[in-house]
Amino acid sequence: MAKELTTQSYINHHLTNLTCGKTESVGWTCDHNYYNEMGFWSYNVDSISISILLGFVFIGLFKFIKLNPAHEKPTKMQNFVEMCVEFVNENILSVFGPTKNKLIGPLSLTVLVWVFLMNLMDLIPVDFLPEAAKQTSYAMGLVDDPNDAYFKFVPTTDPNVTLGMALGVFILTIFYSIKIKGLGGFIAELTLHPFGKYAIPFNFLLESIQLIAKPLSLGLRLFGNLYAGEMIFILIALLLFFQSPLFGVLGLGLHLLWALFHILVVSLQAFIFMVLTILYLSMAHETPEH
Amino acid sequence: MNINATLISQAIIFAVFVYICYKNVWPSILSIMEEREKKLSDGIEASKKADDALEEAQIAFDKEMEKAKLEASEILQKASNRASQMVGDAKEKAEKEAEKILTSASKSVENEISKAKEDLRQQLSDIIIDASQKILNEEVSKEKHDAVLRRAAEEL
Repeated sequence: MAKELTTQSYINHHLTNLTCGKTESVGWTCDHNYYNEMGFWSYNVDSISISILLGFVFIGLFKFIKLNPAHEKPTKMQNFVEMCVEFVNENILSVFGPTKNKLIGPLSLTVLVWVFLMNLMDLIPVDFLPEAAKQTSYAMGLVDDPNDAYFKFVPTTDPNVTLGMALGVFILTIFYSIKIKGLGGFIAELTLHPFGKYAIPFNFLLESIQLIAKPLSLGLRLFGNLYAGEMIFILIALLLFFQSPLFGVLGLGLHLLWALFHILVVSLQAFIFMVLTILYLSMAHETPEH
Repeated sequence: MNINATLISQAIIFAVFVYICYKNVWPSILSIMEEREKKLSDGIEASKKADDALEEAQIAFDKEMEKAKLEASEILQKASNRASQMVGDAKEKAEKEAEKILTSASKSVENEISKAKEDLRQQLSDIIIDASQKILNEEVSKEKHDAVLRRAAEEL
């Protein structure tokens, strides 16, 4: 028995992840009706699977293209790949300066391309994949009601994904801070600024907020931008609920307009995430001035 | 939309992809790019060197050319001097020779003339004697009138 499709249920359906987790009552399940029982140790299968898939798209794109040796003319795909690498290197050079750090390059490239690909999913019309997921899982008998099958296909509209990546960057920041400045230096940086040694608790409070704000804002910025973008796509799609040709045409036009604008957001947010990653790592490499 | 273990999974997935990129993707692309960059800069260097060498060669060539031209004009000058000298010498020699030939020719003509005169005189005297003998009917002998006759011959 299918639930009635209302605008609210439509929006909710689009904003809900396919979450699997362990419940007390039925054990491992992906049924959204048990969502509240799952607690922290549950997994957004859609975000994870799509992001892994796109990760492999990235690796495949950059690893398995034909790389002609240096004395031969590069292939077109090779030109593209080298252009990306060059772009990343230029940004590292301008933000980080010359560095011997060998991780920063691959890290930035991964961030740029992976986040870009995940953001790019936003340009797939909002109903394609969720509808396909609905029908497949209903046909496979995984759910009793097709509307119970959720699938959110833009990983970066899931805060877990963006904050997860930000967490990775955060751990690297702390790792390099301690590696470069030493544990003492790192603690000193946290406690002796900005008011000197007589205000250590206050300093620590301020500096910890600053420290934690970085990854939090990094992750939430990406999430917020993409979530808002996705939301607007959904709202534009809602115009079709009126079932009038006028709104249909209007919806189509708006969709096109927003998609065109969103191309900018998609690439810009990927770029910003990369630049901030480089920036935070370069701050971790800075030795204190005082 | 709640925070759940996806966060940790995602951080791990992120780390794995960064590691794959770090190990497999980045170095191969970068090494090719660096190698090509080196090749290109080497090539540019080499072409610059070749350009310099060409310029040097051009300068040397111009110098040699200038020198050769100078030498050639010197040689030409010398040759023309020599030629005019030779012509002058030859002319002088020819003139001398011509004069010599002329003198000897005029001498021999004079000799011929005097010889012819002598012959004529002899023949005339003979004819006169003959004629006189015939006229005088043997009265006049050759021996007798030899002195007279010689005088007559000399007057001719």
